Amino acid sequence: MKSQLKNIFLSAAWLLAVSALYPSCTIDEQVDLNAPSVDGIEANATVSELNNLVAGILSGQRNDLDIYLDDHGIIGRDFYRFSSADPRFTADIPGAGSAFLDNNTFYITRPWAACYQVIRNAWVLRHAVVNTSAPLTDEQRKGYLGFAKTIQALQMIWLSNLTHNNPDGCIRVDVEDPDNLGPLVTYDEALNYIAALLDEAYGDLNAAGSSFLFPLSTGFSSFNTPATFAQFNRALRARVAAYQQDWNGVLTSLSGSFINPAGSLTTGAYVSFSTASGDRPNSMYISLPNLPTNARVAVNSWVTDAEPGDLRLSKVAMRTEPAVSGPFSSNYDVAIWSSLDDDIAIIRNEELILLSAEAKIQLGDHMGGVADLNIIRSAAGLPAYSGSMDHESLINEMLKQRRYSLFGEGHRWVDMRRYNRLDQIQTDNPDEDVWPYFPIPASEG
Amino acid sequence: MKQQVIRLLLSGFLVLLAAGHALAQFDAAGTVTNEEGEPLIGVTVAVKGTNIGTTTDADGRFRVSVPGTSATLVFSYVGFSTVERPVTAASNQVDVMMTASSSVLEEVIVSGLATTVKRSNAANAVAQLDAKQLTGIVPPSTFDGAMQGKFPGVQITQNSGAPGGGINIRMRGITSINSATQPLFIIDGVYVDNSIIPPGLNVVSQAAARGSPRQFDQDNAVNRIADLDAGDFQSVEILKGPSAAAIYGARAAGGVVIVNTKRGSNWADAPQVRFSQSLGFQQILNPLGMRQWDTQKVADFYGSGSPEIQKFLDAQAAGKLYDYEMELYGNKGLISDSRLSVMGGNEKTAFYASGSHRSEEGIVLNTGYTKTALRLNIDHRLSQMIDLKLSSNYIRSSADRGYFNNDNTGTTMSIALSSTPPWAELHPLPDGSYPNNPYAPSNFLQTRDLITNNETVDRIIMGGTATVKIINTDVQSLRLQLQGGFDSYTLITRAIFPRELQFQKDGNGTNGASIQGSTPSFNNNQSAMLVHTYYTPKLTFRTQGGLTRESFSRNTIIITATQLIGSQTNVNQAGSISTFQFRSEQLDLGGFIQEEVNWDDKVIATLGVRADKSSNNSDPNELFWYPKASLALNLTRFTDNLGPFSTLKPRIAYGESSNFPPPNALFTNLSGVIIDGLAGSLVNNQRGNPDILPERQKELEVGVDMGFLDDRMVLEITNYRKVSEDLIFTAAVPPSSGYTSKIVNGGTLVNRGWEITLSADVMRTEDFNWFSSISWWRNRSEITELKVPAFVTSAFGATLGTFYIDTNRSATQIVGIGNPDDIQPGDLYVVYGDFEPDFQMSFYEDFRYKNWSLTFLLHWKKGGENINLTQLLTDLGGTSHDYDDITLDPAGVLGNGPYRISQLGVSAAPFVEDASYFRVREIGLFYTWTAAQMGKWSNNLVKSAQVGVSARNLLNFFTYNSYDPEVSNFTGNGLASGVEVNPYPSSKSFLVSLNVTF
Repeated sequence: MKSQLKNIFLSAAWLLAVSALYPSCTIDEQVDLNAPSVDGIEANATVSELNNLVAGILSGQRNDLDIYLDDHGIIGRDFYRFSSADPRFTADIPGAGSAFLDNNTFYITRPWAACYQVIRNAWVLRHAVVNTSAPLTDEQRKGYLGFAKTIQALQMIWLSNLTHNNPDGCIRVDVEDPDNLGPLVTYDEALNYIAALLDEAYGDLNAAGSSFLFPLSTGFSSFNTPATFAQFNRALRARVAAYQQDWNGVLTSLSGSFINPAGSLTTGAYVSFSTASGDRPNSMYISLPNLPTNARVAVNSWVTDAEPGDLRLSKVAMRTEPAVSGPFSSNYDVAIWSSLDDDIAIIRNEELILLSAEAKIQLGDHMGGVADLNIIRSAAGLPAYSGSMDHESLINEMLKQRRYSLFGEGHRWVDMRRYNRLDQIQTDNPDEDVWPYFPIPASEG
Repeated sequence: MKQQVIRLLLSGFLVLLAAGHALAQFDAAGTVTNEEGEPLIGVTVAVKGTNIGTTTDADGRFRVSVPGTSATLVFSYVGFSTVERPVTAASNQVDVMMTASSSVLEEVIVSGLATTVKRSNAANAVAQLDAKQLTGIVPPSTFDGAMQGKFPGVQITQNSGAPGGGINIRMRGITSINSATQPLFIIDGVYVDNSIIPPGLNVVSQAAARGSPRQFDQDNAVNRIADLDAGDFQSVEILKGPSAAAIYGARAAGGVVIVNTKRGSNWADAPQVRFSQSLGFQQILNPLGMRQWDTQKVADFYGSGSPEIQKFLDAQAAGKLYDYEMELYGNKGLISDSRLSVMGGNEKTAFYASGSHRSEEGIVLNTGYTKTALRLNIDHRLSQMIDLKLSSNYIRSSADRGYFNNDNTGTTMSIALSSTPPWAELHPLPDGSYPNNPYAPSNFLQTRDLITNNETVDRIIMGGTATVKIINTDVQSLRLQLQGGFDSYTLITRAIFPRELQFQKDGNGTNGASIQGSTPSFNNNQSAMLVHTYYTPKLTFRTQGGLTRESFSRNTIIITATQLIGSQTNVNQAGSISTFQFRSEQLDLGGFIQEEVNWDDKVIATLGVRADKSSNNSDPNELFWYPKASLALNLTRFTDNLGPFSTLKPRIAYGESSNFPPPNALFTNLSGVIIDGLAGSLVNNQRGNPDILPERQKELEVGVDMGFLDDRMVLEITNYRKVSEDLIFTAAVPPSSGYTSKIVNGGTLVNRGWEITLSADVMRTEDFNWFSSISWWRNRSEITELKVPAFVTSAFGATLGTFYIDTNRSATQIVGIGNPDDIQPGDLYVVYGDFEPDFQMSFYEDFRYKNWSLTFLLHWKKGGENINLTQLLTDLGGTSHDYDDITLDPAGVLGNGPYRISQLGVSAAPFVEDASYFRVREIGLFYTWTAAQMGKWSNNLVKSAQVGVSARNLLNFFTYNSYDPEVSNFTGNGLASGVEVNPYPSSKSFLVSLNVTF
């Protein structure tokens, strides 16, 4: 009896002790085991963390760029995209039959989210640069800011190209605070904001000293100092001015850009791709010949409308037999890019010369405009322009040169829309549609 | 002062102890036999209203010392009706004959972390299966497969037919929208991991957006619970909702599955050696067939001038139109299942040891599954006071799962098949090389023959329990139960895509990919529990309390090597390497206390509360409380005049539980990226939420159990209402914020349902027995509150049909674009269906005639829709079996294929399909020789032998236009079911079995 009692007593005491100890067992606060946190970086980043953000921005620009270019290529009827894995490339985007653009499907939601993700990363960089206790000089700070703002503006150009004059609004420009977003603004307001942001960035870059504290990707190898990056900034500004029909502004901005009538037309800024470890291959590249189940094929009329001998026809490769998908067929594979390591142009000298031509024609300097166009024609192996010199004809010629020079790079649809000529885009089938703009993604609310 | 208090307490305790020692006492004794007069060994004999009891010996005899001058003895034994007999000092000889009973009310089910209760006293509808029902009809491939269709209120959906399993379990509807609310599995007291760890195929399939947090959801990986060997299970109990599972607290939101494995015994038939061997095969369950082409159809599809016409004619003339569906899915896969178990013991020690090996080939060549499992369970009585139990289990399993499901590269075998016409020539050339498939990015025969996609697991699960009888007097007992266990495994995933594959070579891919993953996972749990039972003549009080600790850790590393050098698969031998790592660590601490009061088996009431804290919560030291309460009334105990009822028990139970925020829900972080050798940080699409709360489930269950004809027939009716509050959503946020989703506590979901089970010993004669159990259940869900805008989720957008979370709607409704006239006012989309079935029904029937037994399980799912995109992709490839049938077009003009294509982008209606089915899930016919019959041939060595044939999914009836309505392209969240994109087709299997007991 006594030993039993002792047992009871011991056990009870033991349990009491354990119970008493138990609540005092505290559990450590959880830390993120897998990745750095935004809050931590914004509050106090090291220089290498700032540079990681820069590389993140450069890398993020590649996300879903292929979808952005497919959207433009298909609606502008540069090419069709055949994919056995996703039927909506041949249904919704070209508006085949009674298909229409949905506001919650990848062709708008993914590029939209990808662009804003880069804009967010740039905001994280802007906040981090301001808050960091790392010993940065004012010039170095300005370098980061000029870079971040310029890329934010570029992303907004891409975004507004997709949604344009959508009556629901074009894009949000006030997105600094993710919990307190500004309204969707109109296309014109968006362009004004983008222009101002580029100008602000230009000011920063001009006060950023002679070198950046951060490395850039190879696609920016011609623009890796504040002075040269400012030229890239001005090139974008010229494009925006053209969208705004501010023709003097185009010429002013071009003068600060890297435009070089005598230089290579391919000089410019690029998004870099690579098959190296951990890097991202160019997903616009499909090996030749494309399989009809996974193809990017030129609209036949792009080839048949070309002037004989146009060297730019090398951007497509003739197929041995047509690629067919439903009502679509084509004899030509898109061959702009030749490998998974090829870079994709953001803006290059050829576009700048064409912008110069366009501005001059619009300002009545027809001779100057034709001179610029002839640079392009000559490079394409074509004789100098010999058509009529009236304004309308020159605009037609300018748009035609843009169609061939900037094939597949996301311009045709925008250009035809700028000149209210969407109805002139030729489609393969009568029941296709040429959409004027994409819907605002459903989750924008 | 302090000492005085202790002394006072102590003396109070003493009085309590002494109170049990009644002055008068006598011995009661007797023999217990079955209906045939054979002695029953191990029958529990208890003196009612006391802690006094014993068990019968090898001759069925017992002797027990009874306090006072009269008492009631209670005789209970598994598989027999409980018997109560009065005894007095004058008539103290009691001989009892017990009658066999299959009545479910005789089952014993859990009532607390350390206690059980007889079902006739339970307040919850706890589902329980014994080994016979679980694995007795058809030896199952995996544990998950063994449970399908057997538990009312539980919907178990297979994700695909790929060997090695993979399922989604929903108990009483979906509990969470975004979290993986799979049930908590506890095996012999050990918390067992059920993670889904994908192999990282996305780099080849591109099925998900790059950089998406859900990039692994479409890899079709296995739930790790599939590793367990159900052949060792003695019983499985399912606590379907918080009203039963609240005592498991913060992890019990998805229900709890409690498994007890077989243990040795020191009396019955021991030692016993049992050997089982099954052999059989599996084949595709529902081949769809290929489209019958003719010249006109080829011209219509490929164009009138297409060279395909000539190719078709040439192939037709040469007799080379191939049925590629059967070439790919037509394998008859061999199945072999071997098992040896030994059980035995003496008075102090008992053991159960088993070894099993299963191998099965899939219906696709080079896919298959093997599993080897070893188990040793030991029970040892250290002293009168201390019992020890040890369970240990080693498993090695390996699954070759092929390459199926959704992709965005057209390279999975099933998607490549969908666009390949029968005149394609894909067979290997004489030199062993494979021709390119001109109709798809992949030659699926080459893919089948050359790729590897293997998951191999080495797993050890061990647990131990020590039970100490601290007090054991006539009127009370105090038990201390110390329990601990761990589940440790290493998963190796290995996916090899050699560079000679059509979609890897010549710039079509990355010149080969070798994706090697490794995941060590270690979980362990400990608990200390005290159970005090105090008996009075009419009332029994059982108090229990305890503390628990659980910890979980996992570290997944996936190395993806591309640009492979030659035929090397070592990740060093590659031009490009990327890595992925995911770690999670969790520590939970909890405590509970529970009081059960039993008034003479008339009224049984329980009250309890659990408190938990966890490192996964935003404040890891905040305690979350989970109360429970229940009441059961045995009305037949109050009066004998209840007409036909032998049992009439209304019951009510309430409980709460919760579901942790997913790991890393607290953080907004940046992913690592690389560009031109520069390391970068890019914000994730998903925003974390530092203030996130766990989801909380509150369930009220009411029901009534009715027994008729001495409980030979039992009808259980249960109704429940389960409210899930603070639902965690990865709610879509305006993507212009730079994020596409944010983790929020954003809504409330209510599930209501009915579960009805009628089980009966329909016939019980000497030669013929018939046991039947019929269950019917249904569930309805509704989102009653949504703090975020309505959102689409878990599918491919409204064009193709999607789940849509909206206020006052079913959580599983399926919507899509469509005719504006069909859109309800205020809605964005047309509602086309609901994944939730109208109802489900199962029939378990067990017939025995002399030595024959026939057992089958029928499963009927009525209603519920799937999103079937397999048929659409097959239409787009022009190869659908019903491409030319005209049954869908209201105008009666277009074939089904062209019609479905014409609706693409117009309406999602053709892609949402009724997924009802009726199937003979399991059926087995066995002949058994008893010891008496075997005796003369085997020198009494063989105690019994059994041969039989069995089949799984023998007959299937559905109109659903694909391989199987039970399918899921996605894994890993609450809604992940019912979306189909070219899966590995399901199979049916046939087995011949031999079981011998020595």
